[in-house]
Amino acid sequence: MNRFKTTILAATALACVVGAPAFAADTCHTEAVKVGFLPKLDTDPYFQVAKTGAEEAQKEIGGSVIQQAPSQATADAQIEFINNLVSQKVDVIAIAGNDANAVAPALKRAKQQGVQVIAYDSDVAAAARTVFLNQANTAQLGQLMLDSMAKMIGNEGEFAILSSTPTASNQNAWIASMKDRLAKDPAFAKMKLVQVAFGQESEQINQQQTLALAQAFPNLKGIIVPAGIGLPAAARALEQAGMTGKIKLSGLAPASLLRKYIKAGDVQDVWWNVKDLGYLTYYAAQAVAQCKLTGKAGETFKAGRLGEYTVGEKGEVLLGPPVVVTPDNVDSFAF
Amino acid sequence: MRLLRPFLNWDGLLATLAVLALTYATLAVPNFATGFNISQAIAGISEKALLVLPMALLMITREIDLSVASMLALTSVVLGALIQAEVAMPLAIAAALLTGAAAGLVNGMLVTRLGLSSLVVTLGTMALFRGLGYVILGPSSVNVLPDALTDFGINTLGPILPWTMIPFLVLAPIFVVLLHFTPTGRRIYAIGGNPDTARYSGVNARRIRLMLFVISGLVSAVAGIVFTARLSNARADNAIGFELDVITVALLGGINVFGGRGNYAGVFCALALIATLRNVLGLSQIGGDAQGIVIGLLLIVSLLASNVVQRILAAVQWRNTVKAQQRDVANAGTTKGR
Repeated sequence: MNRFKTTILAATALACVVGAPAFAADTCHTEAVKVGFLPKLDTDPYFQVAKTGAEEAQKEIGGSVIQQAPSQATADAQIEFINNLVSQKVDVIAIAGNDANAVAPALKRAKQQGVQVIAYDSDVAAAARTVFLNQANTAQLGQLMLDSMAKMIGNEGEFAILSSTPTASNQNAWIASMKDRLAKDPAFAKMKLVQVAFGQESEQINQQQTLALAQAFPNLKGIIVPAGIGLPAAARALEQAGMTGKIKLSGLAPASLLRKYIKAGDVQDVWWNVKDLGYLTYYAAQAVAQCKLTGKAGETFKAGRLGEYTVGEKGEVLLGPPVVVTPDNVDSFAF
Repeated sequence: MRLLRPFLNWDGLLATLAVLALTYATLAVPNFATGFNISQAIAGISEKALLVLPMALLMITREIDLSVASMLALTSVVLGALIQAEVAMPLAIAAALLTGAAAGLVNGMLVTRLGLSSLVVTLGTMALFRGLGYVILGPSSVNVLPDALTDFGINTLGPILPWTMIPFLVLAPIFVVLLHFTPTGRRIYAIGGNPDTARYSGVNARRIRLMLFVISGLVSAVAGIVFTARLSNARADNAIGFELDVITVALLGGINVFGGRGNYAGVFCALALIATLRNVLGLSQIGGDAQGIVIGLLLIVSLLASNVVQRILAAVQWRNTVKAQQRDVANAGTTKGR
């Protein structure tokens, strides 16, 4: 009998040793763990601000945060950092993918090594991560930009759009949804979209295009600039030409770059709280490590001061509705 | 001094540095000496290791090929597009290799037949070949690839060695033998050392340089296939910026920019050194931009160090010569005196 017991014990011990690495991914942690944040790019201020949110959450619930990223926003550069984080024995990787599919094999390999993976800001292939923390619903953004423009110019007059590049898929979807609403919604009957121009993601071209629009359409009352580089550039161009306020601006860009124009009431900006995205991501990472979050639609988890979140389709968690930044709330945006 | 001499040349210095870096990493850097980390660090240099093989030869003949990463991307796109069109994989791979060779032939013809500078030609084709990739596939990518290919990209041979490193391990000895043990290798050095002398000695420099460009294209295609497999992804912006990393390795490895000098021992040491450094910096939580600074500094400091070492060597040699002369003179004097 004794020998039987010993054999069982030995077998169990062996099974533990052999089995441990293979099943490590299913281990549920009971304490807060180490989370490795892997943004798209090393020095991008957007992700630096998101990190401050993660650090705030870390102070609340423990664990630790490290953040590392490549100097080029490419998938293969990011793969080295995925491997590096695995080697550093982080328990969860939170990645903003440079390429949804190209990083997937490396992320799956990380999972085999017992590291959980979640995505934030930019999704990766759904099979390679548990949840995706999405900062904003793409469809809503376009509508909000149009709404804020309508409000500034009193639902009447000529306006233009200064997009990024003709092939940018997000921007094209927004423009299409704006055009659709202009044609159908009687509230916009007196607003006329006169031209869609492109700033090519360049500050200089955005400035030139802004002034060109102002000259070509003397009655122009507003420009919607749905691009992060374009909106601040357009605001500066109008300021230098002394046309600030005469042509209103709306669009999508970091609120911190536009603070002064927003306060003066000449620009409205659709944005979200980037710091909150990092905060939410950290809470989600810990929930995943503790097996409280598995990515199934309908699951809920708590994220500190932000309250409770519900997982949507395809493991997506939405940070919240995007906000129109106005003179009243502009100071609450760190970025 | 005599004992130190083997370490006082470039390769010795590099080898010492590489061994030091590896020892330091193994002993002092947590998580460095794990199977996973070593395996992935090796996998990460699979393509650059391949690309530097022909680059070294070209640079020794005073040429350069800036288009290697673009040829890699183009062949990756060709492979992906054909697989997407349900062409059998062996055929698709053959087509990718042919594309690479053809691209290399274009470079080689422009340089050797029209007498254009390879720096300018390949700067042009660097944009051209990647552009062709965009024409074929646009900004989209092919990421549904046959299992055989993705398994090759992910699996290891034994516990550590990634399969993606095998093409390099097969090709490297061939290149080493070619450069260091064949008449063609001697001719490659001759062309770079002094093109005129080489020509008057009956070396067909044109043909050899043309051949090297074609080989460069072909090896870039192999790297393209490896890259596609490793990232399970074929797209036109693959491997952006690789050419500079490859040239950095070659230069650090002691391949002379002005041609005629350098060898593979140095290049392989440089490869190991840079891979170790990047990995250790990563494990020490240093981000990509700061890593770039370190690699850049390493290149410049090592060039300076090599200059200093060469001067010391020259000075020592000079002193020895002078001493020998004095001895001879003294000997001669005593002989006379008798």
